[in-house]
Amino acid sequence: MTGPLRLLESLGAVAIYLFAIVRSLFTGPRYVAETLRVADILVRRCLLPVGLAVAPVGAVISLQGVHIFRSFGAEELLSSLLATAVFREYSPALASVMVAAQAGSSIAARIGTMQVRGQIDALAVMSVDPIRYVVVPGLIACAIVTPLLNVLTTILGLASGWFFAVVLSGCDHGSFMANLYSQVSMVDLWVGMGKCLVFGTAVGLIAGYLGLRTSGGATGVGKAANNTVTYTIVLILVVDYLASMLLLRWGL
Amino acid sequence: MRFDRFVVQAVRAQFRGIPPMDEFLRHAIDAGVGSLALLTLLTIFAGMNLSVQAYGTFARFGGQEMLGLFCGVGGIRELYPVMAAIVCGARIGATLAASLANMQISEQVEALEVMGIDPMRRLIAPRLWAVTLMLPLLCAYADAVGICASYFSAVHQMGINEGVFIAQVKEIVTLPDLFAGVVKGVIFGWLVALVSCYHGYRAAKRDGAEGVGVATNRAIVHGAVLCIVLNMFLSALMYA
Repeated sequence: MTGPLRLLESLGAVAIYLFAIVRSLFTGPRYVAETLRVADILVRRCLLPVGLAVAPVGAVISLQGVHIFRSFGAEELLSSLLATAVFREYSPALASVMVAAQAGSSIAARIGTMQVRGQIDALAVMSVDPIRYVVVPGLIACAIVTPLLNVLTTILGLASGWFFAVVLSGCDHGSFMANLYSQVSMVDLWVGMGKCLVFGTAVGLIAGYLGLRTSGGATGVGKAANNTVTYTIVLILVVDYLASMLLLRWGL
Repeated sequence: MRFDRFVVQAVRAQFRGIPPMDEFLRHAIDAGVGSLALLTLLTIFAGMNLSVQAYGTFARFGGQEMLGLFCGVGGIRELYPVMAAIVCGARIGATLAASLANMQISEQVEALEVMGIDPMRRLIAPRLWAVTLMLPLLCAYADAVGICASYFSAVHQMGINEGVFIAQVKEIVTLPDLFAGVVKGVIFGWLVALVSCYHGYRAAKRDGAEGVGVATNRAIVHGAVLCIVLNMFLSALMYA
């Protein structure tokens, strides 16, 4: 097949895949127990890596910010910067990147393994729709779990920032707390949560698509897991930039 | 195999003479040149986002002119080295883990041993050297691309004075900062390669295709978490 033809073919495959997903979201049968089981596994697996990855970011912002703001004599601005950066940007983006790394790659690897072993075809033979039974539960679980983890990571980021600024660098606790929420509004909170919802859904969609397209045995499984993470990180950074730009234009 | 024993064996293999050059070159080219397109794309958007985000934050208390400081410190000192490491972990580390796991489950590693070739020396050492030497270069490249993207966004989209931006970047980013970024790159690269090789090498034949997926997943996650946590300690050591 030539280049344009292959592009057209994969575009068509994506369209068919998305259509099947949407149809199974709005029609029965629904596999609620399976969804909850996947969500439970995801929370357990993601909790530690996501927490460990996001907590240091608050500390690093404090670490670098203390120096700069001290040289201007504006130490009290540090906590405002920390809160806006963590709420709006770093907590959602990093939590999503880590969900992609942990949940996305493991979902893609699991579906890929099933595909390689012919289990997906076996499901279809038993007239269980693989998209409905395998992909959609993972998708919904990712979409629910990512915003929940974002709550945890926001708290962790602020706490580690506080620890570094107040305990280790000797900023004043009172002025840190007083300025923490001065620049943060509900909009920041909802923007962060909305981003997480979008990114979580994207992780589930990409992992399911690449998992189902796996071919070529064990090597293919590794490639599916790997590509899921790469594509999702690209998507997260691009969407993040566009979202920041739009919000700035709207003056939020 | 336990992790500590693997590290000892791997380090011994890595520093015992020159690694097999053909393997080393193949992995160095795959890790370095193969990551360029992805890293360029990611750094451009991350750098532009850094400017936009900093502008939104600083405009709230009237400090738009500090954008250069923020992009210099946040980007060069922290964001780009870590980002290069995470991208490297997601792309290079996962590929290393998958290829090694694949060799384990198809018994190619045992075949090497039977032929009297040390798999540590033949497989692990060139991979470790390739990533350790390539990641600092990728970090330096990310620094350059990122600061250009930040500049473009700050000057052409946010309307910051270009002289002020450049002066602030020059003032806050010193040569030791750039060097520190490269040092971080060396450490992250070695760590990512070590963790990925460990998870790939540990796969057993009975795991089958699932083992490759598990190894890939663990390599990506452990590499990223280790780099982010270590970055905090390195920054505290270097700048505090």
